[in-house]
Amino acid sequence: MCMTILFFGRLSDRFGPQITCDLPDGIDDLAALTAWLEHRHDAKGLLTEPSIKVMVDKVLVHDNPKLKGSEEIGFLPPVGGG
Amino acid sequence: MPMLLDHDFDPAKALAEFERTCGDAGAVVSFLGRVRAEGGVETLELQSYPGVTEEGIRAAIQAAQSRWPLSAVKVIHRIGRMRPGAPIVLVMTAAKHRRAAFEACDFLMDYLKTEAIFWKRQTGAQGTQWIEPRAEDYEDKNRWSRT
Repeated sequence: MCMTILFFGRLSDRFGPQITCDLPDGIDDLAALTAWLEHRHDAKGLLTEPSIKVMVDKVLVHDNPKLKGSEEIGFLPPVGGG
Repeated sequence: MPMLLDHDFDPAKALAEFERTCGDAGAVVSFLGRVRAEGGVETLELQSYPGVTEEGIRAAIQAAQSRWPLSAVKVIHRIGRMRPGAPIVLVMTAAKHRRAAFEACDFLMDYLKTEAIFWKRQTGAQGTQWIEPRAEDYEDKNRWSRT
């Protein structure tokens, strides 16, 4: 079982477009995963800016869902339009 | 033709295909957006969230269909890298009378310019940068809010 983490727009410059990994040890919710990613990429606060939207399995989330480790997580900066 | 294309397309051919789906509509409106050659832009690149971007556009099309009596509607949008002058978006609407076709096309373009799930990066003399919507784009979108 592994999860896919997608980064769009300017976030893809910093984190790369996609990370595929198992849920790291000791992490079981979105907030902890986000903090882990920021720490790993030395990007404190970048994913928790108010303008960043987060999708879990292509659905916008506003809370801190528990993660099983099989989800697709997307970090979306403000869209630029077409 | 699919909704999102990662290669150049021929708008005239797309319009001809669309016209064959319009039945006896008396009005067909099309809007073609092209990459502007301003500020020394050399390439424009659009990134989508596969699945999510298409779903958002489909929802906007449904909103247009519930608001105007359309015989047919089709959106074709580029993703990937484009050069100035290249077609970036083609919105086509058909209705019995012109007003509905014009307004639905305008409505869909306002959605596509502000809310559609695209990230835009331009490369030119000033290097490479990500672009966010202009304030005017949001004002255009707000024209359609029903309060």
